[in-house]
Amino acid sequence: METRDLKAIYGKLQALKGINLKFPENKVTAIMGPSGCGKSTLIRCLNRIHELTPGAKVQGEVILDGINIYDSKVDPVAIRRRIGMVFQKPNPFPTMTIYDNVVAGLKLNGVRNRNKLNELAEKSLRMAFLWDEVKNDLKKPGTALSGGQQQRLCIARSLAVEPEVILMDEPCSALDPIATAKVEESIVELKKEFTIIIVTHNLQQAARISDYTAFMYLGKLEEFGETVDIFENPKSELTEKYITGKFG
Amino acid sequence: MTSADGFSSVSWWRRLVNKSMTILILVAVVLAIVPLVFILAEVLIQGGSVISLGFLTHMPAGPTDKTGGIGPAIAGSFTMVGIASLISIPIGVGAGIFFSEWSSSKLSTVSGFMNDVLTGFPTMVIGLFVYIIIVLTTHEWSAFAGGVALSFIMIPIIARTTSESLSLVPNTLREASMALGVPRWRTIFRVVIGTGKTGLLTGIILSIARATGETAPLLLTAAASTHYITNIFNQPTASLTVLIYNYGTSGFPVWEAQAWGAALILILLMLGLNLFVKLVIGKNLTEARME
Amino acid sequence: MERLIDSGLEELTVMVSKMGGVAEKALSVSINGFVEGEDLSKSVHELSEILVNRTVEVEEKAFSLIAKYQPVASDLRIINSYMKVAYDFERFGRYAWDISFVSTRFNAKTVKCDKWIFEYIEKMAEKVLQMVRVSINSLRRLDPELVKRMTEEENEVDKTYFEYLDKLVAQASVTNECTISSVLVVRYLERIADHAMHIMEAVVYVATGEKVTLR
Repeated sequence: METRDLKAIYGKLQALKGINLKFPENKVTAIMGPSGCGKSTLIRCLNRIHELTPGAKVQGEVILDGINIYDSKVDPVAIRRRIGMVFQKPNPFPTMTIYDNVVAGLKLNGVRNRNKLNELAEKSLRMAFLWDEVKNDLKKPGTALSGGQQQRLCIARSLAVEPEVILMDEPCSALDPIATAKVEESIVELKKEFTIIIVTHNLQQAARISDYTAFMYLGKLEEFGETVDIFENPKSELTEKYITGKFG
Repeated sequence: MTSADGFSSVSWWRRLVNKSMTILILVAVVLAIVPLVFILAEVLIQGGSVISLGFLTHMPAGPTDKTGGIGPAIAGSFTMVGIASLISIPIGVGAGIFFSEWSSSKLSTVSGFMNDVLTGFPTMVIGLFVYIIIVLTTHEWSAFAGGVALSFIMIPIIARTTSESLSLVPNTLREASMALGVPRWRTIFRVVIGTGKTGLLTGIILSIARATGETAPLLLTAAASTHYITNIFNQPTASLTVLIYNYGTSGFPVWEAQAWGAALILILLMLGLNLFVKLVIGKNLTEARME
Repeated sequence: MERLIDSGLEELTVMVSKMGGVAEKALSVSINGFVEGEDLSKSVHELSEILVNRTVEVEEKAFSLIAKYQPVASDLRIINSYMKVAYDFERFGRYAWDISFVSTRFNAKTVKCDKWIFEYIEKMAEKVLQMVRVSINSLRRLDPELVKRMTEEENEVDKTYFEYLDKLVAQASVTNECTISSVLVVRYLERIADHAMHIMEAVVYVATGEKVTLR
């Protein structure tokens, strides 16, 4: 997956000023930067969620498997099935059970086959490291789980539609350290099958779980490279200042 | 004077103020409830003696005939509120969805404003309007006209409550659904409405309760009748409210007593609907909120 | 903007800098002692002990900074390097002690020693002490500018070392305390130069992030 000269606008503010970034397949890429640098905007452009905000516009290209997802012939709804998203605050559907939540993406798209649903539900919950904790309670409401479990439920939900890329917008920032650890474990497992792009403001998290890191500043891509290199010896002074905490 | 003295005299004063305020507020509450209690009591006393199965099913009789009933009026009210519901629920919910899900468009703000104006519109004027466009053109009083008039009253209420209930659904749920690759209309119908359905139902039932108690529009569209109707398009239709008006001002004691009976039925109906909302739907709401 | 880690880093820098001073003193005292024939082993021993204790302190401080602040980039490189450099300084102290031990044990000056032997040792000692000073200054300024010169110096020292050994085998008239102790001392001098280069490597790493092997 890659972006070419991606620009994004909110009303009068230009949030992204031409981003060129290649996301390596089956790896975890972390996007970091100070508040307001455009990292959330960037990730929301990758699955065409940004354009749902009133006043939002996108220019440039985002390429997935050689196709520009912003091409007029491409159906955004179909794209969003190939690029999944997990949000900052866990958002399970409150009126649905755990099981229904996991298969929501499938059911709402007309999949009726009971066996297929059961199969995918179990597979997704296992991949999110949640199966063992909920396998006997699938009929409980989705909101009856703890925060960390809810977030893993949301991860399972996005896995069930069998995407190729998973986007995560600060998935652990609302979770306690133990829940965070469990989510990080699952991310490291998931990269074997999916390409993962994660926005995080937690430096140590990026160091722990990502293979590549992109550092953004004021809507531009400042530096991109292997996480090990960036954290040991960043090439850009801005990057160095940010990660050592010399500016917020 | 030691500081301990200072403390105790201040708190004595404060306690007095507290208590008097509490009493004043309680008095206000009592005063607010008293009218309702008196009305209910009066209706119960005056109308209770008239109620019987025959009363509920017989057709009206002469002003001195005690065997008359309000059957057609009950049926008429149900029919016209039913027609009004059939019209106003789809339109009102649809409008409500538009206000909530497309709230950024200019059309939404303008029509939203117009909707709010309609909510408190004088019902007599609505009745007159429907009189002119339906009754005068068809030369008939009809249940249909009555239903249409009632729907003009119900639509703004349903639209507003729908739009507010749906607006309460957090945006993150919409985004979560869209991010799964669910098309927008399905997101609205299955996820947003699914989450906000209790609010929707509440709004609908409350507007039904409101419509059941309307008189002015029915006076000018369905008039009154002593028969069960067989056709909704060309027969004047009886309704509880109009019957209460007619009987209550007739001067005949039998009829006046029957008016009280009808009033009792009407009030029981409205109380029932309100209680239903509070107890059944409210319970679901609180359960959902506690999670 | 003053960060929480900055005061810790400063403490660490001061500790290491002081260690450098002590290490330099220990070496110069002991080498001069050997050359002049004076017995300064007691004061050298004291200095060496100080270095051993300081090394432990530096390690502990570095670990606590890592655990508390999870430093990255230049901060991490500095802390990492200081730990290694502390070990080099400890080694300096050790070798200083070894040299003064040899000096005391074999009382070289009192024994008749060929003049050329002492010339070699003096020459090497001077070079090596200079290398130690340069490495400590480069560390203080975190400035790798003199790396090239140092590499050349180190090659010289190595050359001198092997030259001396060959010459000793060929020309030594007799095997006695003088020749034995000179071999030991020359060996220690070569090791000291090696550690000075190790310090320079650390300086390069902190300044540029490159891991080089200069030895």
